[in-house]
Amino acid sequence: MNMGASTTAPWREASANQTRLAFGQALLAIGERESRAVVLSADTQDLLGIRPWIANWPDRFIEVGIAEQNAIGIASGLATTGLHPYVCAYAPFIAARSMEQIRNDVAYANQRVVIGAAASGISLGVAGGTHHALEDLALMRSMPNMTVIVPADVNEAYHATLATLDIDGPVYLRLGGRTPEAPVTEDSAGFTLGRASRLRPGNDVTVIACGAMVELALKASDALKAEGIDARVLNMHTIKPLDREAILQAAAETSGIVTAEEHRFAGGLGGAVAELLAVERPTPMRMVAMPDEFAVVGPTVRLREKYGMSAEAIVAACKSLVG
Amino acid sequence: MAVGNEVRSACRYQARIMITIGHHDCRLSDDRETGERMNEARDELLKRLENEARLLRRNLWRALRAGGGGHAGGSSSAADMLTALYFHRMRLKPSEPDWPDRDRFVLSKGHANAALGAVLAQAGFIDDALLDRFYHFESPFGMHPDIKVPGVEMCTGALGHGLAIATGMAYGARIQNKSFHTFVMLGDAELHEGSNWEAAMAAAHYRLDNLTAIVDHNKIGQSGRIEELISLDPLADKWRSFGWEVREIDGHDMGQIVDTFDALPLKKTRPTAIVAHTVKGKGVSFAEDTYLWHSNSVDDEVHARALKELGGA
Repeated sequence: MNMGASTTAPWREASANQTRLAFGQALLAIGERESRAVVLSADTQDLLGIRPWIANWPDRFIEVGIAEQNAIGIASGLATTGLHPYVCAYAPFIAARSMEQIRNDVAYANQRVVIGAAASGISLGVAGGTHHALEDLALMRSMPNMTVIVPADVNEAYHATLATLDIDGPVYLRLGGRTPEAPVTEDSAGFTLGRASRLRPGNDVTVIACGAMVELALKASDALKAEGIDARVLNMHTIKPLDREAILQAAAETSGIVTAEEHRFAGGLGGAVAELLAVERPTPMRMVAMPDEFAVVGPTVRLREKYGMSAEAIVAACKSLVG
Repeated sequence: MAVGNEVRSACRYQARIMITIGHHDCRLSDDRETGERMNEARDELLKRLENEARLLRRNLWRALRAGGGGHAGGSSSAADMLTALYFHRMRLKPSEPDWPDRDRFVLSKGHANAALGAVLAQAGFIDDALLDRFYHFESPFGMHPDIKVPGVEMCTGALGHGLAIATGMAYGARIQNKSFHTFVMLGDAELHEGSNWEAAMAAAHYRLDNLTAIVDHNKIGQSGRIEELISLDPLADKWRSFGWEVREIDGHDMGQIVDTFDALPLKKTRPTAIVAHTVKGKGVSFAEDTYLWHSNSVDDEVHARALKELGGA
């Protein structure tokens, strides 16, 4: 993958291969371009790398403390005055605890609030089940007016955050922990909201993945190729609005769909794809996702393996559809 | 001089605009030209406001009848303060509801929407006829405030939201060097929601003296007396301990209400909490001071009895 000169971009170095830090770096670019942007922290200044923002624009920074409900309420109030708030928070807390504030004050009121939700999925593996966010996509995508984005790597996190400059409504940006050593998306590809990117061609079977699972989907595709199976890989970075066209096309052109996500089976990417296909074009599907249980304590990679969110699981699911 | 030095534009407008609310077109018309109030004698001011408050109560009961019932208790306890806000204290342009420099009002206790709708109609934000469509199919005027209605700043009524939102509005004024003041009205039982105290902490920390919280302290929640649910006492001290400047008033004494509003902010660098002692259902004897009228049915007969007590048709 040719990353060209961009590999040396200052934002990339500062992101240290973490999507949550790429969000903070993108905010710096937003701060230069949009004087209405305001950043809120729920005691998350380092989590999302916003200390440079605080240094640059102290008047456009608000620390609310460990009070997620308050962060969303204040953000909504700021937005009504014409400002563009960015809320920096932990996914497991902001999505669940302040769900009602997000639904009423942000989604129903349709206010321009961007939520940067770090530590999503099981990226805080050893912190335990209280600190995993495995239902946030289900919560966020069930609300009208919401845009839900799951970047696959630092490139995408950076460009998706920049894309919020043009989204006049609420956004949930799901940020994980450490992402692939080598980015899986092209920096030059930028980010097109609601348009899945096809990272591998293939007409035997399709893998639709988001977030950290995109890297594993590519590994699975490579492994399947060696066995003579061409698996298309779609990076479904936007969960809402869903790229219906790309999904329906994949359903028409390949023998089945495998979804892959670091989220529970219920209500996430797999659910979104299944809701579409069940109505529009019933298609054999397999879902690679977290089972209906709370994860044990462990490193993220070990947990992914234990609960079947692995390249091997994607390979097996694909084979079951083409076999 | 009770009115204060600022030229306040509430009620000094001529509006005849077409607005769109959802699928409905509503014609607003209001040709009242009431002129400057700056020289109005205090007793005349109070008399005017008391008359407006009586009309507000008649209108909120009218809306309740249109809806077949609703939150008479908390709407009535808030009526006098709402009147003083919209007809005296707040700088507003009903013909331009999104005027960026307008003062903000958030009805956090959104179940009192019958009162908010009534005052918005009287002030000229919405068509008076909308009051007769309370709860009606696809009406923008339902049980709780909807931001799509001109003059409504936020969709509220899920309790414990408004203070944080108002804190954001007040902070937004500071960031943009705007002079508008933000008011939020809270129910007393609403203060059981812990999110209020998150916002109370933050507003005091950020010294938002452009923010005023009004607690409609009618002492009664949906299930009974608050004292028997979960006690709030000492309520004023709670706000003080959070860093707010507090004044306790009789929320039905128009003189006290006006004097307090005119004195805002009570203290530089502090948000103000007005703990307003009120009577749930105020103005209609059978609805007063009882949880049974937190929300209740209103038919033609009940409506007629209420209007008879309110008088001043």
